[in-house]
Amino acid sequence: MKFIDIQHDQWHTVGGEDGPMAHPPIKSYSLLTLAQWHAVREQWPARDAADHKPVGVILSNDTDIESLEADATKLSLVVLQFPKWTDGRAYTQARILRARYRFGGEVRASGDVLVDMMPLLSRTGFDAVVLRADQDRAAAERALGFFAARGHYQGDVQQTRPVFGRAA
Amino acid sequence: MYQYTEFDKQFVRQRAAQFRDQLERNLAGKLADDDFRPLRLQNGWYIQRHAPMLRVAVPYGEMSSKQIRQLARIAREYDRGYAHFTTRQNVQYNWIPLAKAADVMDLLAEVNMHGIQTSGNCIRNITADAMVGTAPDEIIDARPYCEVLRQWSTLHPEFAFLPRKFKIAVSGAQEDRAAVAWHDIGLYLVHNEAGDVGFKVLVGGGMGRTPITGTVINAFVPWQEILVYIEAIVRVYNRYGRRDNMYKARIKILVKAEGQKFFDQVNAEFRSILERDIDGAAHIIPQAEFDRVQASFAYPASVQAHTPTGNGLPADASDTDRIQFGKWLERNVVGHKVAGYKNVQLSVKRVGQAPGDVTDNQMEAIADMADRFSCGELRVTHDQNVLLPFVREEDLFALWQAAKAATLASPNIGLLSDMIACPGGDFCALANARSIPIANDLIARYQDLDELYDIGDIDLHISGCINSCGHHHSGHIGILGVDKDGTEWYQVTLGGSDGSDHAPAAVAGKVIGPSFSADEVTDAIEAVIETYRAQRTPDEKFIDTVKRVGIDPFKTAANAVRRTTAKAT
Repeated sequence: MKFIDIQHDQWHTVGGEDGPMAHPPIKSYSLLTLAQWHAVREQWPARDAADHKPVGVILSNDTDIESLEADATKLSLVVLQFPKWTDGRAYTQARILRARYRFGGEVRASGDVLVDMMPLLSRTGFDAVVLRADQDRAAAERALGFFAARGHYQGDVQQTRPVFGRAA
Repeated sequence: MYQYTEFDKQFVRQRAAQFRDQLERNLAGKLADDDFRPLRLQNGWYIQRHAPMLRVAVPYGEMSSKQIRQLARIAREYDRGYAHFTTRQNVQYNWIPLAKAADVMDLLAEVNMHGIQTSGNCIRNITADAMVGTAPDEIIDARPYCEVLRQWSTLHPEFAFLPRKFKIAVSGAQEDRAAVAWHDIGLYLVHNEAGDVGFKVLVGGGMGRTPITGTVINAFVPWQEILVYIEAIVRVYNRYGRRDNMYKARIKILVKAEGQKFFDQVNAEFRSILERDIDGAAHIIPQAEFDRVQASFAYPASVQAHTPTGNGLPADASDTDRIQFGKWLERNVVGHKVAGYKNVQLSVKRVGQAPGDVTDNQMEAIADMADRFSCGELRVTHDQNVLLPFVREEDLFALWQAAKAATLASPNIGLLSDMIACPGGDFCALANARSIPIANDLIARYQDLDELYDIGDIDLHISGCINSCGHHHSGHIGILGVDKDGTEWYQVTLGGSDGSDHAPAAVAGKVIGPSFSADEVTDAIEAVIETYRAQRTPDEKFIDTVKRVGIDPFKTAANAVRRTTAKAT
């Protein structure tokens, strides 16, 4: 799990005078809204192009994850949101991104992200978090240690097989 | 019963250690109460009126004598000497200080118990027919399937923060004794035309403010695919269930709002998991895994079919004993899959104790009876009693005497005094009104066995608030506590059903007029009962009379007893 310090994060949102810029320029590490991304996706250089720039999308938790299905190979980052930490929709978004779309970039949790969510985040495919400001990184790392030795009953993104389907 | 593997044991210990870490951070001021709340809830810890309440999971109601002895010890050493059996087959404590919570979880873990997902907006403890595995009308033993489901749902990473709580019940018998249709997902084990085993899957049942029974979403899901199918249902619910209003957040509201669209989404999701996801088929249950789990549910070696040589009643038994024992046989003892055996219920409904409450000594006595007479096994029933699943007919008299000594031999199973009641306003912070005093009044009023037997089979259910823990919607008579201007009132419903054989179509009861005041409600119930006795045809059960004559005669009779509320009608 990567712990993001937003003061030193290379990714940046692209604001304008009045909310997000409608047609953001093609720049490395642009973190776009879905609307911004849709405005520029056709022009954005493909990943294997010489002039490709890493691009990410921030998706609200009530947006269908299917809206990113066609872009899974173009994006380097998807930021999923927890407006309240007890709202579990982003877990499903992350899991489908990984398990169904084979998304290989970074999946980052932002918003009301607590240390006790770490096991769930990790298991559903998140590999980066922006912890809520009052959260303790050491406690987050400790939270990842429980159950680590023997795993869980059901499969997940990390361990795709349930305990009954794993080699003993 | 299920035998914990080394994996299962270390898992529960890990959970206890994780909870201790969370509790210590909370007590040290490093984890705010608001943030700790969902974490403790998913371990069974509520904050109640007087103290925290702990709900201990009893998967599909099955327990060993060793486990209930440990529960007795916890009641004695950490609580005030008693515990409570719930309608979802769990056990609750009411007086354990939160600072001792982690120690109690360690004690539970010693006997493979825990409070995992007994509260919170997650998949709750899975319930079943209390006679699962031993019922004479059983088609398919649901226990191995329940256990596989329990394992799959335990700490599922995607479904820990659903819009609302999520309950699953399973039945594999002809009679539905698990109120299956009242659950978020209801599962009936069935055979298809080819004779293969699978599940008829219902979705969208629930009580609360909007009582609805479930709808069949799939008439036959092969058992191997059930985890994937349920994953699809819960995933669609997690994505689209309402989160803006907790009273509209259960899956029943989504199913009702979306109808066929919801079914289509689930079926599409099911196919996507299997056809597209990495290792999407990994949760298809292999025969070997089923066999492994099923093996631990094999009957104890001592359980052998035989022709019984009587029921132990001594030739020189007194007339009183003969009569009392006879009544107990009639009400509390039912048939069994194995010749020479009986399923026996110990009644936890008697004068002077709240329905479902047991003392530490009674729990010890239950453990002793389970050891002596039932291969060390027992079940918590949906009706808040205890069932001993392996009693030899020859032992019935000796068991009856032991049960009587522990005041657990009331011969009232299925009768009016065998009512379901939640802990209500005496304990629960959610309740609008108290349940226990109403239950106690009714039990005290209906002590006369001849009268109880004359009234016959009847389900009376009491909830202290609309959350419906006392299942008032499904009672033939339902009593719901409501709060008006800070005083307690009680709404009475008639004609509800849990779906068991008395009235096989699960349905919510109908309200009979404005709420009654606390001092009227037992009189109103008595008026309802007297109306039944006056109106019934020979051998007609209460529920059948209600269905035949409608609620009006009952309403008129109940209205006639109004004093405090006379002006309101």
